[in-house]
Amino acid sequence: MNALDIRGLSKTFSGHVVLHGVDLTVRRGEVHALVGQNGSGKSTLIKVLAGYHAPDAGATAQVLGRELTLGSAAAADRLNIRFVHQDLGLANDLTLTENIMLGRRYPRRAGIAIDWPKARRIAHECISRTGPAIDVNRTVAEFGIAERTRIAIARALPDNDDPALIVLDEPTAALPAQDVEKLFDTIRGLTAAGNAVLLVSHHLDEILGVSDTVTVLRDGARVATVPTAEVDKHSLTELIIGRALSRDVERAPRAVDDSRPIATIEGLSGTSLLDIDIDLRPGEIVGIAGLTGSGREEVAALVTGRTHRDGGTVRIGSRSVPSGDPRAALAAGMAWIVGERARYAVFPAMDLRSNITIGDVGRHQRGGRLRHHDERAEARDWIHELGIVASGTDADIATLSGGNQQKALVARALRLKPAVLVLDDPTAGIDIGARQQVHGIIAGRADESMAVLITSTDSEELARLCDRVLVLARGRVVAELARGVDLDAATIDHTQVSGVPA
Amino acid sequence: MRTNAPAPEAPSTRNLKSASASQRQPLSITIGRYSALILWVGFTVLFGILRPDTFLTSVTWRLTISEGVVTAVVALAFLIPLVAGVYDLSVGATMGTGLVLMNWVGINHPGVPLWLAALGVLLACAFVGLCSSIIIVRFRVDSLIATLGVSQVLLAFQLFMSENRQMTGAFDDGWLDLGTRQVMGVPIVALYLLVLALLLWFVLEHTPVGRHLRAVGSNPEAARLAGLGVERLITGSLMCSAMVGGLAGIIFSMKVGTYSSSIGPGLLFPALAAVFFGASQFARRPNVWGTLIAYFALAFGVKGLQLTFGPGTFWIQPLFQGATLLIAVAMASRVVGQTRRSRRLQKDAEQGTATPTGS
Repeated sequence: MNALDIRGLSKTFSGHVVLHGVDLTVRRGEVHALVGQNGSGKSTLIKVLAGYHAPDAGATAQVLGRELTLGSAAAADRLNIRFVHQDLGLANDLTLTENIMLGRRYPRRAGIAIDWPKARRIAHECISRTGPAIDVNRTVAEFGIAERTRIAIARALPDNDDPALIVLDEPTAALPAQDVEKLFDTIRGLTAAGNAVLLVSHHLDEILGVSDTVTVLRDGARVATVPTAEVDKHSLTELIIGRALSRDVERAPRAVDDSRPIATIEGLSGTSLLDIDIDLRPGEIVGIAGLTGSGREEVAALVTGRTHRDGGTVRIGSRSVPSGDPRAALAAGMAWIVGERARYAVFPAMDLRSNITIGDVGRHQRGGRLRHHDERAEARDWIHELGIVASGTDADIATLSGGNQQKALVARALRLKPAVLVLDDPTAGIDIGARQQVHGIIAGRADESMAVLITSTDSEELARLCDRVLVLARGRVVAELARGVDLDAATIDHTQVSGVPA
Repeated sequence: MRTNAPAPEAPSTRNLKSASASQRQPLSITIGRYSALILWVGFTVLFGILRPDTFLTSVTWRLTISEGVVTAVVALAFLIPLVAGVYDLSVGATMGTGLVLMNWVGINHPGVPLWLAALGVLLACAFVGLCSSIIIVRFRVDSLIATLGVSQVLLAFQLFMSENRQMTGAFDDGWLDLGTRQVMGVPIVALYLLVLALLLWFVLEHTPVGRHLRAVGSNPEAARLAGLGVERLITGSLMCSAMVGGLAGIIFSMKVGTYSSSIGPGLLFPALAAVFFGASQFARRPNVWGTLIAYFALAFGVKGLQLTFGPGTFWIQPLFQGATLLIAVAMASRVVGQTRRSRRLQKDAEQGTATPTGS
């Protein structure tokens, strides 16, 4: 009898197959790792197991020999399947006891008052099942991230003594290396007590370190289920990526350029980013790749001043760009386009032209008065040049599609004629047609000697656009790939997954 | 992996349709945008029929307008920071402070020319606005709380200055003439209001500063990242707001002259109702002309009711203003809800075409 047996699991979203006949067997007392790239279907599988999605007809599942109705959260809960998600879902202001008791019934005195000594005893028992005891009266905020993960696991453990299946969804994404080892001890403790653990993770080192068996998903299908002892980092990476390393180059390689960099970034550090250096030369497009948690997502914010740097300097020409000051960065000749439009860029309830001209509306001012006519003329030029689909210059920005909003932001940045353009995941959430147009515009401008720094989760995008790509892992540059030498999407994927140069 | 959903071009064409639809709006929305004007005309016709002898006289109109000017100026004071998304609930108290200071100078320093006193009042009010902005910008206190606190401190200052008594500043006739005179049949205070409104309209709609204020009100974080001096804009808007509030006090000193502690705070609510009702008018965002028209539409409605139903109807004004505020804000939030819905639809469409869903 296995802890979990899934047979023939398929899931189709409006005609599109996301999971295709997946089998998954988790044996009792083992740590089973589930791996795959973004979009491989592993999240969907977890969501079906959790009862969030219903599977297509034909799938069966058993837990310890008992039938499990997939797509029912109540059924999964009854059969002791428990989930700990990446964000943990703890209430940081409450004590450990209160967090453990969330979702449980408080013991009562005389049916009214909470019996706190008893509640604390329950919390103490729960936390003891995951490792050494810790003070149950402290608030969760006082604990480090490793202990918090433990508390979340302790809270998820069922009250009964039947073996449970604990699903850990990316539990190590935010953990420093020394804390990962603590978490592994917790996981080993759980399996030693007869529970099974299904671990979803991007980090191959961790999977190789703690799991007994690995199942690899690719494009919605199960590619392999192998004992962890039989794979190494390289073979696991190939299983995940599913293609031999190949070179595909679309932009011509740049001539070797010894010109002085127009921008130098030294020792850049943030929350998870530790000390990276980047040089940008005029006309060069430099990409930053890395998985979530590698520090890649912080680079643009730290460079442009959206957030304060923990350390490091940014210089454009001879001007130093202070930390956390977007105004100064703009004045130094930097401009940026952010993928998270709604939060950081779009002015809702304002029209398209205001959204384009906001960075420097003063140029349409004569004698203190705004010349709306001139402003509309400029907006019309941009709408024409970038192919923005809108009913006119005065259309409310909210009526535009995501791709067209993004093109308006491209116009906002380009009209400042920046020396350095920073793109922060610039094509997130826009359709493929608009994406290619944005790429074309950026490449064209780079050829006119603007330097471009682009961070992206999309390896194809980086491979298509960049002259150089720096791949980050655990806050540091682990590889630099150059166009015409070793830059292609597969190598980026391989390097960011394995954390070492291919 | 990509879900199939609409073809890449589909969202743009659909949004193009919805964009052009926004130009040909449904009749109900068009009526809503001019509802204050329609209401004003409706009141005029209704009470013109009910009370032709009193309501339709020039005296009534002159009186209603000149009575409303001070509150309308306070409403404009509230409007300025609201454009930048900041609530200044101290505008009524600032007006009272301006008035108490004018009276104090008039009583204790009769030698000081009143225009100089007025200048001093404006500077003092600018300082009050600066203090509010420091609390909001530096100490990151929510503007509602900060200005509510400031308004109580100002009230304390007024009670201290007036020793909790009425103050009559014995302004000279020349000064009172500035508040009561008529120019070609129009109360001169209405002209002050008109000049102020024109100035604010120009700044808010036709200068970069006005554009920047709106951007801050629309998305402060995006405004910061677009290189706007968000903190300076908020500080400036609060200083202007306080100065306009003080100006309302100065105009009141010309018109009536007498201070009592209930005057300033009592103006806050009608001003607020006018601004929010006005924000549903014309371009459907906080705006100068919408505010004024909304205010006077309500003022004429109240006047008509009082004339029709007699002096026992003192309770009409708060009822009327409260109901209008609720209806106006409910209408505005319905509008907000609609844009949110359409944005969510758009987001869904985007995710359908471009975001990997399987991971």
